[in-house]
Amino acid sequence: MTQVLPQIQVRFTTNQRQYIVTDSAILVPTNLRRYGLSEIINHLLGTEKPIPFDFMINGEFLRSSLDEYLKIAGLSTETTLTLEYVESILPPRELSAFQHDDWISSVKIEQSMIVTGSYDNKIRIWNTSGECKQTFSGHDAPVKSIDLYCVQGERTICVSASQDRTVRAWSILEEDYNDRCGLMYECRGHKGSVECVRFDAHGNQVASASADSTINLWNTLPPDEDELVTPETSHISREKPEIYVKKPEATLLGHTGPVQAIVYDDEYGSNRLYSGGWDHSVRMWDVESRVNVDTKNSDKVILCIAYSDVNLTKITLSSHQNWVSSLTWSPVSAYILASASYDGTLKIWDIRSKTPLYTLSQRDNSKKLFCVDWNNGIIVSGGEDCQLRVYSGDKIHGESVSSE
Amino acid sequence: MKRKTRLEKREEEELVVMGPSGQFREIWPEIDPVYDSDTSTEDVQNTVGNIPMEWYDDFPHIGYDVNGQKVMKPAIGDELDKFLDKLDDPDSWMSVKDDLMQRDVKLTDEELEIIRRIQMHEIPDKDYNPYEPTVEWFTSKPMVMPLTAAPEPKRRFVPSRWEAKKIMKIARAIREGRILPRKTQAEPPRFYDLWTDTEQSRSDNPMHLPAPKIKLPEHDESYNPPEEYVPTEKEKEEWEKKDPEDRDKSYLPKKYSSLRAVPAYDKFLKDRFERCLDLYLAPRVRKNKLNIDPESLIPKLPHPRDLQPFPISLTLSYDGHADRVRTFSIDPTGLWIVSGSDDRTIRMWEVTTGRCVQKWDVEDIVYSIAWCPNKDIWIFAVTLSNKVAFISPRLMCSEEVSNFAAKYASAGFNMQKADKKPSVVEWVKPTENQRQNGYIVIISHLHDHTVKQVTWHRKGDYFATLAPDAGTQGILIHQLTRHHSQQPFRKIKGLVQRVIFHPIKPIFFVATQRYVRVYNLTKQELSKTLLSGVKWISSIDVHPMGDNVIIGSYDKRLCWFDLDLSARPYRTLQYHRMATRCVAFHKRLPLLASCSDDGTIQIFHGMVYNDLLQNPLIVPVKILKGGHNIVNSLGVLHCEFHPSHPWIVSSGADHKINLWTC
Repeated sequence: MTQVLPQIQVRFTTNQRQYIVTDSAILVPTNLRRYGLSEIINHLLGTEKPIPFDFMINGEFLRSSLDEYLKIAGLSTETTLTLEYVESILPPRELSAFQHDDWISSVKIEQSMIVTGSYDNKIRIWNTSGECKQTFSGHDAPVKSIDLYCVQGERTICVSASQDRTVRAWSILEEDYNDRCGLMYECRGHKGSVECVRFDAHGNQVASASADSTINLWNTLPPDEDELVTPETSHISREKPEIYVKKPEATLLGHTGPVQAIVYDDEYGSNRLYSGGWDHSVRMWDVESRVNVDTKNSDKVILCIAYSDVNLTKITLSSHQNWVSSLTWSPVSAYILASASYDGTLKIWDIRSKTPLYTLSQRDNSKKLFCVDWNNGIIVSGGEDCQLRVYSGDKIHGESVSSE
Repeated sequence: MKRKTRLEKREEEELVVMGPSGQFREIWPEIDPVYDSDTSTEDVQNTVGNIPMEWYDDFPHIGYDVNGQKVMKPAIGDELDKFLDKLDDPDSWMSVKDDLMQRDVKLTDEELEIIRRIQMHEIPDKDYNPYEPTVEWFTSKPMVMPLTAAPEPKRRFVPSRWEAKKIMKIARAIREGRILPRKTQAEPPRFYDLWTDTEQSRSDNPMHLPAPKIKLPEHDESYNPPEEYVPTEKEKEEWEKKDPEDRDKSYLPKKYSSLRAVPAYDKFLKDRFERCLDLYLAPRVRKNKLNIDPESLIPKLPHPRDLQPFPISLTLSYDGHADRVRTFSIDPTGLWIVSGSDDRTIRMWEVTTGRCVQKWDVEDIVYSIAWCPNKDIWIFAVTLSNKVAFISPRLMCSEEVSNFAAKYASAGFNMQKADKKPSVVEWVKPTENQRQNGYIVIISHLHDHTVKQVTWHRKGDYFATLAPDAGTQGILIHQLTRHHSQQPFRKIKGLVQRVIFHPIKPIFFVATQRYVRVYNLTKQELSKTLLSGVKWISSIDVHPMGDNVIIGSYDKRLCWFDLDLSARPYRTLQYHRMATRCVAFHKRLPLLASCSDDGTIQIFHGMVYNDLLQNPLIVPVKILKGGHNIVNSLGVLHCEFHPSHPWIVSSGADHKINLWTC
């Protein structure tokens, strides 16, 4: 005698047009999990090759069987569940790893170019096949942060922040790495190590955060002469005389401890700036008026900030066993982000799920990760093990952004 | 008449003789015992009395007569003679042996008659008549002439009031039903519940303790228990193999087809005996239980969860040293750590990333290192054998800052020494090579002993150095700006372990092996001695408010002194399993920590209230384990809180420096 399994009525909906199935409610056994439900959808679609789907109830991923979900939610099997389904994202594949001489403090990827800042005071430019195209040296201390801005059709400008208290701008030409590449100008004004540097959306302004608890704003116009003459700058032995020292356009004061992270709000014309630091606060600044507009306090030190223009939910994600050193939003989805941590793991999160989607860990877990970046379907991370790791994230697609 | 005759006789026959003492003594005539005299019927010649006659067996006499003369033993033949005499004498059957005189006495006829009557159970005296007629001296019949003439009393014929009262009492009781007349004897019930509580409560004796009850039989003690209670062969074997004391049951359940088949209980006597033993030997004592809730005895301490933040987990490890890291110091901004190690290097680390940014090679083991507590002066002091060097790490600061530090520290070279007294130290300019590495000033002590500690005053100008073996020159207080050194103590009692400045007042603490002496620097006097009660102090720290001091000791203890309260510890905490190496207060938060050779760091919440009436609150909140290994029985050697965050940094004998964060 076979036992009759409890069944429940479910209605499947999706935002992905190519996968729309019938709108009527279907009776399914409650012991089904994601895999079983995915099989049903595939059966309804009649696909030849099964496509994995993920299921959401009320905007949260289903991570247990329907039975357990009902028990936790306190629902009976009489109700009709609405299951929204999206195509599953596939785990990133590790493509390659590029060896550095020293720890990698920051990494940025733009088109097919990967730029890394390293603790050996150098900035390296790689293409995706792992060739080090160019190395910029000039900093006297480890490079802590870099950012890129692509001037359409012309060149790429890279700014780097270093522990030698300077921010330097470098120009990168993709085709020919000749003498037009290299240091453009030098920004001095910080009294402590510069921890983070960011371009605004239009490439007109650079903001830098420093351990002396200030944020400096710089414009990106190359100076014609030394704007700042200090005993330090006076005796700099320059390789190129046309390289001048720039002074900050503005200084934002307000943080009571070292500022660790900074990010522009790209949506509102880069008029908003967010910063976070050791004083446990996330501050929002109005760039035009240079005023601290809003302050949010957390109970922990803030090490990194990433900005998403579609902020929907407010949650705390915890799975890392140590400090999270770097964050980046997925370029294609408003829900997905990647985080790198001192516990040596890289995690991919969907903010609709409490647990990470994927955890990419190294062989030696004790090596810290300092940076992560995600662009063009490629995730790159770097850290204490001197390896620039490249992962393919092209299977992680933004199903909801495209539809909205 | 008789008496008269005796007196007469005496007068006639009176004789006087001269006694041995020269006095005259009368000699009385022999008394003639007549029939009336007491001894008239007695012809007893032996006067020894009623004694066992065998005492005289060995003597020729058998006693003494009235005059004190020996009565000689009569000749006695042997047993054969006696026998022959008996045969010869026809009257031998009626003779008895007189023990006293040792001879046979022939019984008279009267005596024989008495014996005969006794044998016949008759009254021995033949003249006694038991059946004499009664004489009715008192009679029940009223007599015409009674013996007393008193009239009959009234109570003889008046009804008794007392009796009436008693009867009324009973009658009233019957009426009220208290007494039931003609109560029927209650028949004992034929059937009764065997298992009821037969023991009646005996309230009359408050000390009565009922005997403990025998356990009631269970299902498996039935003669026909259900199958599941019957043990299998294996269980039986196990049961038999066990010691009788170890068996959980003293019997094996057995199944019988009927009650008839049940044999007699073989252990009945044993059971009874054991029950008696239990009752007899088990002491039954009335215990006076104190009805106190055990929870209420625990002091009301807040939960550690409510006392956050405090360091919880290991975040970073600063790896690079090749030998034990004895000391390190966090700079006042909290961004950098400098550490000194037995591998003769000093390393500078970035706090957030664990990156070693600079390294100095030195010639000696670094015992102590300390950042200048003033944020503007980018300099740290480090002890190198009998020298103290001041280093300003150039790479990590702007030129202005390092120039200011250099100027600040070397200003004293230009200063004219006011007093020409021979100084105990020499302030030396570094060599060019050292200058490149950031050395600014070096203090060279005149003695050859190792300087074990350097500690700053809060303002960053004065600092003290300690060389425990150097005697009176061991403790020196220096001023960095003026390059001036002084020797505060002319003599030092005991072996000095640590010195520390008071954070606010001009007070200087000197921790010797067992005491902490508190000196007032302005008055130049000993203001207090703290009696720690520990055997060997290892470390000391002062609360940033200045009124509380903690010390750690090699005998595992951590003592908290409240300077306002007493010279004895307010609290002594012993939580470590091995010697405590270092104790530290947090500069801003109510936290303190102790680290030990057992490889752990213990974090306490140590709240000091501004209210003088409220004692400090000390709550252990966290034990940080697993960060340090124990090497050669040395664990965590140094710990220090981050100046602004609830983080703690610890260094150990396992060459590691660890950062613990919340």
